[in-house]
Amino acid sequence: MDDKIKRIYVPMTESGFYILYCLQTPQHGYGISQQVKKMTGGAVVISAGTMYGTLSKMEKDGLIRFSHEEEKRKLYQLTELGEEILAIEMQRIERLYRNIKGEYINE
Amino acid sequence: MNKTVTKFFTIADYEEEEKWLRDQHRNGWKVIKMTAPCFYTFESCEPEDMIYRLDFRDIEKMDEYENMLKDFGWEYIGQCVGWQYFRKPACETETQEEGELFSDNASKAELVSNVITTRMAPICLIFLCCVIPNFMRFMKGDFVGPLGMILGLFFAVMFVVYVYLIIYCGTKLKKIKKRYED
Repeated sequence: MDDKIKRIYVPMTESGFYILYCLQTPQHGYGISQQVKKMTGGAVVISAGTMYGTLSKMEKDGLIRFSHEEEKRKLYQLTELGEEILAIEMQRIERLYRNIKGEYINE
Repeated sequence: MNKTVTKFFTIADYEEEEKWLRDQHRNGWKVIKMTAPCFYTFESCEPEDMIYRLDFRDIEKMDEYENMLKDFGWEYIGQCVGWQYFRKPACETETQEEGELFSDNASKAELVSNVITTRMAPICLIFLCCVIPNFMRFMKGDFVGPLGMILGLFFAVMFVVYVYLIIYCGTKLKKIKKRYED
């Protein structure tokens, strides 16, 4: 994988992570924000400009791509690169979680 | 009824501009047009608490951007020298983030970076390549005759204005950026 992309996105912001996580299935900006709000019980709310900016940047960097259009709304989904980055982030967060619980990781 | 108001905000005063536009709407005046460098056209309306927000970014497809922000409840008013203006009724926001265009510090700092590279850099360039050389010529007495005098005075005024703008905007934008980066 491109080292530069990895440097930018690992670790990523909380909004970035949720956006990428939601895009495992095609979704549009507003849909993602609604889903994240529901998933987190309102703890994470992604504003419109942040959503637009993150989606544009991720599309440019090849993490997500245009899927199709529904009622003038652009739906995005993960690319292979996006899936790879998401997997790295999930592993990292899982490690954090296990460490918080006092677990040690023996590989 | 319409009215035009002259008020100048520098590129570092966008948060003050948002507040000012909100106050105007509370007093029954909604902005319908912004004209560079400092003119606002208002239309009389029912007084309402409307949140105003400014964005600054290079947009490839304006309709996509407008549509997405509309989904989030933002009415697009228009743009003026790179700034995009939006408003949303305060009563429609449940959380603080819903009344903001940016919900994390990274994207708030990014707006400031956009302003610095797109607006601040050209100002510095004009200052270095045009205002300073001409001001130096004026000081050396290179401008002669009445026309030369007017031209020289013009560059002297420009020199003062640019020094003020660069110091004021530069320090303020840096301060805003630092607030979001720490």
